Amino acid sequence: MEEVSLRNLRFLVADDFGNFRSTVNAMLVKMGILNIELVPSGEALIAACEKRSFDVILSDYDLGAGRNGQRVLEELRHRNLISRRTLFVLVSGNAAKDVVLASYDWEPDDYLAKPITGRLLEQRLLRLVALREALMPVYQALEKPDRVMAVALLTDLSIANNRHSLAAQKILGDLFLEQGDLDKAERLYGMALQVRPLDWARLGLAKIKQLRGEMEVAAQWMDQILTDNPLYLPAYDALANNLQERGQPKSEQATVARALEVSPMSILRQKRLAAVAEANGDIPTALKAWRHALKLGEYSCHAKAGDALQFARLAVYALETGKVVESQVSDEVIKALALAGDRFDLGPVQELQTAFLRGRLSALDGKLDAAQAQIDKAEARVLNDGIRDVDVDIERVRARQALGKGESADRLLQELLKNYAYDQEALEKLDHLLPEPVSESNREWVAAVNREGIDLYNQAQYDAALDCFERARKLFPVHVGIQLNMVQALIGKKRLSGLPPEEEKQLRDALKLIGSLVESDHSQYARYKRLRQMAYANASS
Amino acid sequence: MTNQSQGVDFSLVLASSVHDMKNSIGMLVASLAQVIEEQPPENDLQAQHFNTLHYEASRINGELVQLLTIYRMQNNYLPFRLDQHYVLDVLEDQVARNHALIDNRHIALAVDCPESLAWYFDGDLVGSVVQNVIVNCCRYTRSRLLVKATEEEGMLCITVADDGVGYPATMLAAPSQQVKVAKVNAGTTHLGLYFAEQIAALHKQHNRHGYIKLTNGGPLGGGVFKIYLP
Repeated sequence: MEEVSLRNLRFLVADDFGNFRSTVNAMLVKMGILNIELVPSGEALIAACEKRSFDVILSDYDLGAGRNGQRVLEELRHRNLISRRTLFVLVSGNAAKDVVLASYDWEPDDYLAKPITGRLLEQRLLRLVALREALMPVYQALEKPDRVMAVALLTDLSIANNRHSLAAQKILGDLFLEQGDLDKAERLYGMALQVRPLDWARLGLAKIKQLRGEMEVAAQWMDQILTDNPLYLPAYDALANNLQERGQPKSEQATVARALEVSPMSILRQKRLAAVAEANGDIPTALKAWRHALKLGEYSCHAKAGDALQFARLAVYALETGKVVESQVSDEVIKALALAGDRFDLGPVQELQTAFLRGRLSALDGKLDAAQAQIDKAEARVLNDGIRDVDVDIERVRARQALGKGESADRLLQELLKNYAYDQEALEKLDHLLPEPVSESNREWVAAVNREGIDLYNQAQYDAALDCFERARKLFPVHVGIQLNMVQALIGKKRLSGLPPEEEKQLRDALKLIGSLVESDHSQYARYKRLRQMAYANASS
Repeated sequence: MTNQSQGVDFSLVLASSVHDMKNSIGMLVASLAQVIEEQPPENDLQAQHFNTLHYEASRINGELVQLLTIYRMQNNYLPFRLDQHYVLDVLEDQVARNHALIDNRHIALAVDCPESLAWYFDGDLVGSVVQNVIVNCCRYTRSRLLVKATEEEGMLCITVADDGVGYPATMLAAPSQQVKVAKVNAGTTHLGLYFAEQIAALHKQHNRHGYIKLTNGGPLGGGVFKIYLP
């Protein structure tokens, strides 16, 4: 091993047990280290890093109340309080990596399982510092940034065939991928794989496939990596991205959910699950994921004020539409909103959204007078302060609906459509309040999904067609065209093979819904009548 | 509905209390090492007492880790993480973890492993197997211990050899059978060997899987433990 010295390095040691801090301190002093700072909590660790920089941080995983070691690392890296030059070593009382693994998004430079001895600590530190020194010129080049130099240095290290080669190969592979240098990355990973089936190299090759447009092959390879090693979290993220790009939100949701089974403490994956589940119309899963995300957010730098609002919006919507009936959800929302208000500096927009949501909750609770008062007050503020924000405006519409003032809500909506006529992004959001989308992007999307469904219908692939229409219906539940297509596909299937009871019910419900939406002057009225006759004719035959 | 108390899974309760015990023992071993360092034994008798304390505590720690690992293995909770490791790093870590025990017993320990020998295995699990064997050897060896790693016909072979009296004949024949026939009151359950064998077998590649082998004689004339990994 190269000659490295620990003597002049600056150390920071964090543990909530004074006993352990002094033990580690004694070990470090014995190694001749002079510059040591001891802190009792995650908060103190972060505060120390805000003031000074350190070469090595030794932190226990368990730091008592407040952030744990993993959350501290997440925050330090996220806020750029430490660079790659600072070594972060996580010490864990629990057997090795499993606890640590259960939460990792940011990997520490090393793990140490308790009990640790002075000799063990020194050995590990010497190794880590030797690696850091070998990579230091690379870090300097990357910080400059001088990528050409970094690649040259890493290439030398990679082929040196010494104990720093593997680390260099990993970094080099990432760099090639970032630069789109696919051929070079492929050669590098291929070389690494000749020796052993390394997960990171296999995933690298799968990513290259994907970047070359072979999306399905890439997904198969990622799947295979996960079959061989279900604990390899980066492969779940890559696969979820792949499925997202291919427009397979159901599989994407399943993949994110699998990653969370392995590592439930990842707040970013919980938020992703919430978003994709909501898009899939799976409201119970979305709500559950938001709950986890809010809980994890308590000590995470990835927590946002908007998280509580998103949870609240979804939960209130679910309560209003009867998709959720548990009454305690209401209390939960109130608590989440209050917490967000305490913890974050809410701007006027978020304060107003909160106020409207509170009004809707009062309405749900049957306290219509209170709801009216809350909503009027918020409305007054919108007008007085001249707030123009589509998210607030959507809340205004929903609040009127919650008070049972459908006509007033519709009037406001028509006004908003005029106000935002040239703002496609805002129109996309307003689409969800309308029977049919007005934004170009959503119109195109609905048209495309509809076309796909009609193609499938024409090939008598009724189940696939129904899937298509179902996707569109999730987003635009009262879109007459989609509903009618659905009815038509159900009738087709019924003629071919008969319908199971739940689809029979779906058919009746859809016809009932359409009946409530179209008057005799509606352009689709004739089609509706014809389909209804066909459906009932079938029923009687 | 079933009665709540009947629904409690004993193995689960056991596993969670084993987990607690292990953490306590971990603290105990660390404190003990510190005490010995701050107040070195004044005479041989004291040194011997310290040795016993230290050895027994390390042994309990090792046993608890094994119990927990086997529980996790049976319930599919065991995180089995293959990665590229330098074998020397893993071996040196195990020696460093137990250096107090080794020093106090005046055992001459040698590590023989090429610095560049890298292998693809679970460093934590194989490390704990090697650590258990080292702790065990500290008790049975006379004065010397050898920890060695080589590549043999495409397999990594880690050897722990001592100059003690060697393994009993029944263990040489079929190490793993010992767990099934072991009598609890016989003093030892050979859980360690069962553990080692299971960990070895988890490592598979190209239709080959890991195994362990016990012999006597070898480089130091005592017991020889070998774990082979593909």
